[in-house]
Amino acid sequence: MISELKAKLLNLSDVISDLISEAKNINEIEEIRVNSLGKKGSITSYLKNLKEYDEVSKREIGSLVNAIKNKINKLIIDKKSYFKTEILNKKLLTEKIDVTLTPHENETGTLHPLSRTIDELCAIFADMGFSIVDGPDIETDYYNFTALNIPYEHPARQEHDTFYLQPDEYGKRKVLRTHTSPVQIRTMEKINLENFEEIRYIIPGRTYRSDHDATHSPMFHQCEGLVLGKNINMGHLKGCLIDFCRTYFSKEDLPVRFRPSYFPFTEPSAEVDIGCKKDKDGSLSIGSGEDWLEILGSGMVHPRVLEGVGIDPSIYQGFAFGMGLERLTMLKYGIPDLRPFYDSDLRWLKHYGFIPVDNPSLHFGLNGVFS
Amino acid sequence: MKFTWYWLLDHLQTDKNLNDIVETLPKLGLEVSSVINLAEKLKEFISVKVLEIKKHPNADKLNICKVFDGKNTFSVVCGANNVKTGMIGVFAKVETYVPGINLILKKTKIRGETSEGMLCSEKELTLSDNHEGIIELPKNSKIGLSIIDIMDLTDPIIEIEITPNRGDCLGVRGIARDLAAAGMGVLKDLEVIEIEGDFESIIDWKIDLNEDKKNLCPKIFGRSFKNLLNVDSPSWLKKRLLAVDQRPISSLVDITNYIMIDIGRPLHAYDAEKIVGNTLTIKESKQGEKFFALNGNEYELDQGMLVISDDYGIDDLAGIMGGERTGVTENTTKMFLEAAIFDPISIANTGRKLNINSDARYRFERGLDYDSPDLVMHYAASMVSKICGGTYSRIVKFELMKETRPIIFNPNNTYKLTGVEIENKQARSILEKLGFLITNKKDFWSIIPPAWRSDIDGVSDIVEEIIRVNGYDCIPSIKLPRKNYIAKPAMNIKHRQISIASKILANRGYNEVITFSFLNEVMSKQFNGCIKELVLVNPISSELTHMRPSVIPTLLIAAQRNLNNGIDTLSFFEAGPIFKGDKPDDQINTISGLRLGSKVKRDWKNSSENFDFYDVKLDVLKTLEAIGVNINSLQTYENTPSYFHPGRSAVLKIGQKLIANIGEIHPSITDFYGFEKSIVAFEIFYENIPIPKKFKISKPMLKTSPLQSLTREFAFVLDEITNAEKLVQIAKSINKDLIKDVLIFDVYRGENIPDGKKSIAIKVIIQPNLETLTDDDLEKISSDLINVIETKLSGYLRSK
Repeated sequence: MISELKAKLLNLSDVISDLISEAKNINEIEEIRVNSLGKKGSITSYLKNLKEYDEVSKREIGSLVNAIKNKINKLIIDKKSYFKTEILNKKLLTEKIDVTLTPHENETGTLHPLSRTIDELCAIFADMGFSIVDGPDIETDYYNFTALNIPYEHPARQEHDTFYLQPDEYGKRKVLRTHTSPVQIRTMEKINLENFEEIRYIIPGRTYRSDHDATHSPMFHQCEGLVLGKNINMGHLKGCLIDFCRTYFSKEDLPVRFRPSYFPFTEPSAEVDIGCKKDKDGSLSIGSGEDWLEILGSGMVHPRVLEGVGIDPSIYQGFAFGMGLERLTMLKYGIPDLRPFYDSDLRWLKHYGFIPVDNPSLHFGLNGVFS
Repeated sequence: MKFTWYWLLDHLQTDKNLNDIVETLPKLGLEVSSVINLAEKLKEFISVKVLEIKKHPNADKLNICKVFDGKNTFSVVCGANNVKTGMIGVFAKVETYVPGINLILKKTKIRGETSEGMLCSEKELTLSDNHEGIIELPKNSKIGLSIIDIMDLTDPIIEIEITPNRGDCLGVRGIARDLAAAGMGVLKDLEVIEIEGDFESIIDWKIDLNEDKKNLCPKIFGRSFKNLLNVDSPSWLKKRLLAVDQRPISSLVDITNYIMIDIGRPLHAYDAEKIVGNTLTIKESKQGEKFFALNGNEYELDQGMLVISDDYGIDDLAGIMGGERTGVTENTTKMFLEAAIFDPISIANTGRKLNINSDARYRFERGLDYDSPDLVMHYAASMVSKICGGTYSRIVKFELMKETRPIIFNPNNTYKLTGVEIENKQARSILEKLGFLITNKKDFWSIIPPAWRSDIDGVSDIVEEIIRVNGYDCIPSIKLPRKNYIAKPAMNIKHRQISIASKILANRGYNEVITFSFLNEVMSKQFNGCIKELVLVNPISSELTHMRPSVIPTLLIAAQRNLNNGIDTLSFFEAGPIFKGDKPDDQINTISGLRLGSKVKRDWKNSSENFDFYDVKLDVLKTLEAIGVNINSLQTYENTPSYFHPGRSAVLKIGQKLIANIGEIHPSITDFYGFEKSIVAFEIFYENIPIPKKFKISKPMLKTSPLQSLTREFAFVLDEITNAEKLVQIAKSINKDLIKDVLIFDVYRGENIPDGKKSIAIKVIIQPNLETLTDDDLEKISSDLINVIETKLSGYLRSK
């Protein structure tokens, strides 16, 4: 009787297996599952009837039923998952999109080439221990000229093409600073000599001269530098500025020449030239060739300037330098004209501007990449 | 300052060539701006004789000329109307580079006729701008020779830039002296024969200056000449003057100009017969006095300008320009010659006030050789008598004794200031070659600068002279020693705020621009500027007259310019100053920006959508958040400046501090500038953001709750004027412990909502802290919220 039962069970198992393999969809499978393994299912019913048998038979049949149950259960799960995959695949086919369509644009903006240059300068000079300071665009005559050893009647004043503002109630007229040098005076005035060792400042900023043609803009940018201490001499000026030029233009062997010059607020003064090649078509390549290109002015701070701010020139000495930022930018990045710097032409900005996350630093690199 | 090579050799004995000199000048601080060496440039041009001329068969204005160089005949097409048979012209063969037209000549056919070269004009040779006809060489010129010799073009012209301190190099002799000091040769002695003169001067000086003004004219010399013949200058003299851009006039004037270039010493020549009386008085002008200058202009003088006057009146503006009445002409036979030292400051002030620029003023301002009046009286006299004949008088003069105060110089200063190691012997030699007198040569040198170097007045000047002539190449290059043992930021907080804000804005789609700090009066008024102290006295254009009261107007100009280029969508920002007054504190640095046009462009997926207030508000909030603003501490107000749309703009503040203005630009302004769409702009006053005194580097501990957050949604009907922010603030205040955030997800007006009301739907996010909330807890929050909205905002729950 037991063997008969066993045969019935095995037969049932085969029948259900066949049903599963023939099932057409996930609903049929579910139906098979309920009919076979559900509470009232055909296989489950065998387990309910076990109590009619003796212990030995009970164990024998019980284990057979369980084995069949497990087998069927696995077949059902496999078949279900087969149908699920099939359904998903069908669905995915209907979800196909045209990947060649252009995505909706959400444009990134750009940073102005001049900001870029200022950032690069800051990175280079920060490495040499400089920090950044700034000062006002509207200056008094004193800071812009007199304190810099340019008295009223000095011929150098005429070369400055100064913008003047309407006189105030006392008849004093302010000027738009013609250079960033007045900030030298403002920073030196703030020095507390009691515990003063050394300062190293750079001062980038807007400057103004009443001149407007292809190579002059009424507003332009300069970067001033000032180093003052007890043991700073002209050799440091030379070392610092050679390092700067070579780092900025990324040319270790860039020829740098120092040439005597004159600025009222420095003595001795030096003009700094870099080596370049001027081609017949007017183009310029930095770093090679026979020609020289003037890029900055410098010198040892004039003793009279130091005395003017209460610093004893027999104890302290230092150097200052100044450079035009538009020119540096044009030379490095091959921008041919000055005027578009202020025209805000979107086409120019996108072409010559820089992506905002390409941030110049010594570890990242100073020159624009990918943009 | 222009001079010629042979002129330099008059003063410098040297075996160096032009290139050596041109390379050395900049090393001395005398920057060379151009060298014109015609002998090199024009060496291929030759003289030819025109043998035959016939009309060009195909062109009315052209001729076909046969020209002969002594060996060969060439056929040349020529358009000049002064070409004639037998003339000797300047010829360029095929393959010659013609500098005036920047072209290498080729054998060509001009209207079907072969041309084997070119007959040249002065312009083609860069001798002048004259293009009227071809050059005609003297009739007796030999043919087939280089024109360099025939036209005497052998003398190269050198132009150098003179810095304001080097008045001594405004004469060829000064340049020669510097070159000699640098080892480029030996300075020749100036040939001056001192002759006392045959008679007493017909004119004498009178100094009419107060004792305290005597220094305005510390020295003045004069000498009379008679029986002169003011002929045309000899050709060598004319040629030299032309080479340095001085127009030859008459020999007396030419001689004064020549001496000015030669030794840097301006002179003034009076026609002695035109001087009324026999005294020239040096005095200060009175307010309103008139002066007729020899440039043909009349000037009204201020009080206290230094002038020279005869018995009739003023006829010389000392050191600047002579008068028309007493000037020399070709008929002059008696001359009075003046050489003076005037106070450079006085000259500069007068020249600037009257706006007269002259070669004399240029030199007086930069300081003259104090000893030069004595010397030039003899130097000029011998030149005048050589060229114009006649005799000259004894010298009449006035001079103050000049104090010479030596500079005490410690030779170690050179090393201390510049790092240059130079032997004392070498340093002394440099100074002496430059004309410095070193009286004490022990530990401290006692140095008297030469009379022509008024710029030298201190130790650092002496150091500069030594290292300049020694060569700047000898300055060592020393690395700045590392200052900090740990890296310190170069930027302060304000700089970092600009940098961060710029990057955030650019990432959000803004392009950075830099616009002018000045704008026109109309814009200044529109943006509440127009303070008198912020108006330029001397603007370069009527568009750039006022310092800007806001960056927005200059951004509008930028946008307008792009609109004209057909670009109608853009986002610009600028980090830059605005001006509320002329004191340093009145300069406010802002980060400002604007957006115009389509936020979303119409494409296959989206329909077009323009930028609105909320887009820019988000830009501002994201930027502020990144530069240290706690967004929750911002209060919103509506009293924006008048250039914003009154209903679509907001002011953000922290306490009393203005942090930002945001809004649509007032339609009357956008209309004015021709914008059809609205523009949304912002200005961030980042300097007002409160910055903690000390930054904590470590971040506060992150607290995450293991309990899930819950949300409850409410829709309230509120008065139209009630701000959303108010609702959110009140909702948050119900239970600050549990309510983490309140978000608005719908604003509705219309059906079922009474007129003058609106419905705002909020989602309240509740975060349990310690234990799961019970239904009662949640119920309490809900009822509290509804009650508070009712009492504080007269709002009620919208029924479903």
